[in-house]
Amino acid sequence: MQASRTGVVFDIRELTIHDGPGLRTTVFLKGCPLRCAWCHNPEGMSPEPQVLRTATGERTAGRSYTAMELAHILNRQAPLLVDGGVSFSGGEPLMQAAFLAEVIDRLQGLHVVLGTSGQAAEEDFRSVAARCDLVLFDLKLIDPEAHRRWTGTDNRAILRNLAVLAELGKPFCIRVPLVPGVTDTLANLRAIARLVRTLPAPPRVELLPYNSAAGGKYKACGLDWHPDYPEHERVRTDLQPFDELQLEAAIL
Amino acid sequence: MSDVLELPIPSLGQLPQLEPRLADMKRRIRAGEHHRFRTVDTLDLWTECDAEQLSWPRRAARLTRRMCEAQTVVIEPDERIVFTRTVRRVPSLYTAEELAALTAGRTLHELGPISNICADWGMVLSQGLLARRRTALEARARAADPEFLEGAIETIDAVLALAGRYAEAARRMGRADLAEVLDRVPAQPAATLHEALQSLRLCHAALWMSGHYHCGLGRFDQYMWPYLQADLAAGRLDTAGAEALLAEFFISLNKDSDLYPGIQQGDNGQSMMLGGLRREGGDGVNPVTALAMRAAYAVALIDPKINLRVDRDTSLELLELGVQLTRLGLGFPQWCNDEVIIPGLLAAGYELADARDYTVAACWEFTIPGRGMEVVNIGAVSMPAAVDRAIRDGLAASEPFERILDRASEHMAGQVRALAEANRRLLLPPAPYYSVLMDGCLERGRDLCHGLRYNNSGIHGAASASAADALAAVRTLVLEEQRIEPGRLLRALDSDFAEDWPLLQELRETAPKVGNHDDRADGLLAKLFDLFADACASAGDNGRGGRFRAGSGSAMYYVWLAQGHDGMREPAVGATADGRHKGDFFSSSLAPSPDIPVRGPLSVLQSFGKLDYRRVCNGGPLTMELADSLFRGAGAVAKVALFIRAFVRSGCQQLQLNTLNVETLRDAQAHPERHRNLVVRVWGWSGYFCELDPVYQNQIIGRHIYGS
Repeated sequence: MQASRTGVVFDIRELTIHDGPGLRTTVFLKGCPLRCAWCHNPEGMSPEPQVLRTATGERTAGRSYTAMELAHILNRQAPLLVDGGVSFSGGEPLMQAAFLAEVIDRLQGLHVVLGTSGQAAEEDFRSVAARCDLVLFDLKLIDPEAHRRWTGTDNRAILRNLAVLAELGKPFCIRVPLVPGVTDTLANLRAIARLVRTLPAPPRVELLPYNSAAGGKYKACGLDWHPDYPEHERVRTDLQPFDELQLEAAIL
Repeated sequence: MSDVLELPIPSLGQLPQLEPRLADMKRRIRAGEHHRFRTVDTLDLWTECDAEQLSWPRRAARLTRRMCEAQTVVIEPDERIVFTRTVRRVPSLYTAEELAALTAGRTLHELGPISNICADWGMVLSQGLLARRRTALEARARAADPEFLEGAIETIDAVLALAGRYAEAARRMGRADLAEVLDRVPAQPAATLHEALQSLRLCHAALWMSGHYHCGLGRFDQYMWPYLQADLAAGRLDTAGAEALLAEFFISLNKDSDLYPGIQQGDNGQSMMLGGLRREGGDGVNPVTALAMRAAYAVALIDPKINLRVDRDTSLELLELGVQLTRLGLGFPQWCNDEVIIPGLLAAGYELADARDYTVAACWEFTIPGRGMEVVNIGAVSMPAAVDRAIRDGLAASEPFERILDRASEHMAGQVRALAEANRRLLLPPAPYYSVLMDGCLERGRDLCHGLRYNNSGIHGAASASAADALAAVRTLVLEEQRIEPGRLLRALDSDFAEDWPLLQELRETAPKVGNHDDRADGLLAKLFDLFADACASAGDNGRGGRFRAGSGSAMYYVWLAQGHDGMREPAVGATADGRHKGDFFSSSLAPSPDIPVRGPLSVLQSFGKLDYRRVCNGGPLTMELADSLFRGAGAVAKVALFIRAFVRSGCQQLQLNTLNVETLRDAQAHPERHRNLVVRVWGWSGYFCELDPVYQNQIIGRHIYGS
């Protein structure tokens, strides 16, 4: 039998609130191809384990697991997760697609949610999404230039994977992080709503208001935090653009 | 499901608020405005008792009578449920010297008077005190020695006379509504919810005035529902009106909490149980279950402390209502798992109907209303002391792990024997008034102090997680992996890790820890409780026809065992092999040790679900704190409700869930004036954070907080 693949995980959190239906444990996989200006998990950016230096001392973010080990940890929780399941988030979990696929294959009777930015090779996306029960797909900005400016890449791969997902027939849901002055503009929300409307079976849209508490972690990661948007401004929590197009939408 | 569920549980969408009348009443009580009515500090009871050379039972009855007589009637214009205590302190029956002579060779429990049990309130409200009086009279006609019954009648008459004075005053004030209620109760069976609550208020307050404390309220929804049902059927009351009455009753329970004895204010045992199976089987959830929780939500004070019995069939709706209370940060409801507790009580010899009828006595220990004269907390075994001694002696003698475990077992057994021996000398003072409220005391003509159907004693196994972690560290790192040389560990323990910081880190970070679903530590935790339960079982009879029940609570022992206290038989331990500094607190009841890595709340459930609670049935909750930020988003309440389901499924026994914000707690330490009403769960009770001793404040701040 092939040796179990290895992956890097920076957190396993139990009783997470926003990562899918029911009682859930969320695995945060390390490494992300995007550099969103508002990122809350800067320790998830680099694919390697790294030392965080905080006021209370040092700790290592990121630990290697074999797929077998990680699946074992999650399977042991299965008796308590019958009303929910496990979720994979990040970072961008698809950066470790082969590892993740193996972990999912080794899970026993657990409902699986993938939370993804969609920024991944199509075959990686297909391979993992097909193994999941529900995909939470982020849509941040529709304008490619704005996307490049705020996340470091354009959104071509993301939009292509969204189309793939719509074809796959998997249950999915669109997630929009509401960042003041960036993603919460009326124009952007309308553009997102229009795009979602064009999908064959328009999914539910969930809006996640940005919470301005990310700054501290950057320092611990040895990164600078210079948000050039009004981070303390109230975000627009307006469902109208979605209501107008008869889309199901909610604020989390 | 039963006929009682015809009435829908009020929807969660409309969380209750106090009506202005009650909001003002609450404000006045929190501000202590009613303290102006406390015109008498205490009474001189001793002089007349001495002059008449009264016996102890007659003195106890005289106490109830004089305390009732000494109360000034207080009826505030906006009150519908009355009674305000106006005598601050309960007088002594004897001088200290007399008491010492009376109790020579015997032990009094805590302050002496019977405490920490629960009356059969259902019986009291449905019969009324006059019926109890008739029962006492009939029994007196047959009794060889009528002294107890005459005392009981004296106390009944005292409570009735007090109610009579209140009725008279109400009439004079033009409060015919109140006068009518007080004319009927507590003398007659209550006929309405209003009467039942007024009856309970007076009868319960009279217990406190009789020197009893930790006076539990029992299965409130079970005994209150018939009255509400009758009101609803007759169209006298709607659910909103019922909720307001319940809220007023709850507020009234907070009037005198500063007068109640306890380790800290709030530790007063005014606990009530909601939900759970009925005596005859079947779901006992009824409309009062939800209405009482809604009232507690609106009142948001430390009393009454709500306990909610749950099983796998408890509706999500009810769980979510409970979690709304949790979210407020009141530290209740305390969740009790019927699927674990009832089998545990059956295994301990309780009859099926009684096991189904359990409540918590005051904090978390289980007892049967009206049928239990249990002394549920006679003390605690220091698991860390047993394990620490075993590790030091065992490693010094190069013994294998099994021998170290034997030593720990012997040490715990020695502690249990010492507690048991002291408990066999226990002297329960006469309690004529409490006896009126219990099953069969009047009928048999025997005071409660001579025992009831169940007479067990409870011993807690305290600070268990630290003890199990210490064993796990020794077995794994010292003996199996041989990464730590025994001498190095012993030296570090003696010096409190002064020169071996790396060892401290290794013990904390690398050794297996309870709370991570790691069998290497959890197995030892289960083993420790097994050995402890063995010790309790072999301690035999408790001298009152009961046994010693093993429990898992820690109460204040998490501080006392760590830092020493006059009230503890066991000396405080020093540094321990789990990587704990000398003097550091232990975790509360069942919880992972402070300052160690913990995976999360589900792993904690799985760790503590491994205990055999059929042998550890005295109670003592798994204790967890949630960050208030967890509740920020929509849907969090539903998630935590599912977490309660997982708790049921995990096989854990009892769960105390607190919602905290550490920054707020720190700010409250710095600026208490800004946080006067900040409530936290301390151990088996909730209290005002700013009124706690700093040592208890700090223990709370050091707990694991999930979801932050």
